[in-house]
Amino acid sequence: MDFDSVMSYTLRIGVIISIALIILGFILLAQDPTALQRLASRHSIFNTSRVSPIQVLQGLNRFDGVDYILFGLIVLIATPVIRVILGLAGFIAERNKLYIVITFIVLLDLIIAIFIIPFLYK
Amino acid sequence: MINLILYLLTLLLSSTIAGFVGSLTGLGGATVLVPIYTLFLGIPLPYATGASLISTIATSSGSASAYIKDKITNVRIGMSLEIATTLGAIVGSLIANIIYKMHLEDILFIIFGIVILSSVYVQLTKAKDELPKNVKPDWTTKLFKLYGSYYDQALKTEVEYHGIRWWLGEIVMFVAGLISGLLGIGSGALKVIGMDWAMNLPLKVSTTTSNFMIGVTAATSSSLYWVFGYIEPVLAGITAIGVLIGALAGTKVLVRIRNSRIRFIFIALLIILGVEMIIRGVFHGL
Repeated sequence: MDFDSVMSYTLRIGVIISIALIILGFILLAQDPTALQRLASRHSIFNTSRVSPIQVLQGLNRFDGVDYILFGLIVLIATPVIRVILGLAGFIAERNKLYIVITFIVLLDLIIAIFIIPFLYK
Repeated sequence: MINLILYLLTLLLSSTIAGFVGSLTGLGGATVLVPIYTLFLGIPLPYATGASLISTIATSSGSASAYIKDKITNVRIGMSLEIATTLGAIVGSLIANIIYKMHLEDILFIIFGIVILSSVYVQLTKAKDELPKNVKPDWTTKLFKLYGSYYDQALKTEVEYHGIRWWLGEIVMFVAGLISGLLGIGSGALKVIGMDWAMNLPLKVSTTTSNFMIGVTAATSSSLYWVFGYIEPVLAGITAIGVLIGALAGTKVLVRIRNSRIRFIFIALLIILGVEMIIRGVFHGL
């Protein structure tokens, strides 16, 4: 199996897992219609500024529907990031120096967006 | 209770339609989704764009996997251009956050409308599936290894190609990333222009590579939108599922209705949505 196929499968599996988690989250939420009612509104005040990914992971043990949906969204956001990391690995294997640097810069941009700016913003 | 189910079904149906139309017109689900959510369902713009960014990742990752397997996507060229799209996405998301903080979203409505109308214009004027003119490689072709080949099923031949003007491609990609972060869309049309017009790559390579890049751009903006609080879980969750279903159905139908009148009906619909977005922005701004 070549590198492109690995990348291709990673993307597909990532999407499938994330959609499955989101659907599971909705099934869990449906057990508690009042909670769902509060969230499912045009002007719901619950949004992601209030939850950190760590809190989401903790919520999974409690079978909290919202946390399953949020975890699904995190997996979805993570798929392209994993893709870039795989790309980096591929260029390292090819010993393609210029592209190792290029992919590293892309990864750096992602790290800035995912870790550095959120940390400064808090 | 019935209201609740009705609301959820409306969201699912609207996002499926958006994914379907977006895939048939080649503009992506978000371009149709955000106008429907804001103009017809009264969802606030930050939540609508947050949900649409998420759905953009789902469709990009979902369909990119098929194209990489077909070997049309040029992973190398895509990666080299992502430097600019991710940087643009960071800048765009930060500007969007400032605009929302200052309650100036009317400006975003107007920009959104202009982006829809200009991408429709580009689509209508472009010759389809034509191979690019044969131009001499320049210094960037060699340095960044901007070449490749793919098997063209329509022409039944292996097409060899090379790209030029990498720097111009990067500039266009920065703007594409900026628009993506600002409006929560994939900016696929602009990315295609960057590769097809600026870098002289074949249209098939440009569209599939653009689709592949959209996910990384949207992931950059999404994580910032997450921190700013523009992602509402129920809305984003349903939208991701709906747009993905619509987009997958769209690709199945696409082969059959290529260049038919149905496509023009959808393009007309997009023009109406674009005009409505501008009107909405202008009148609220007054």
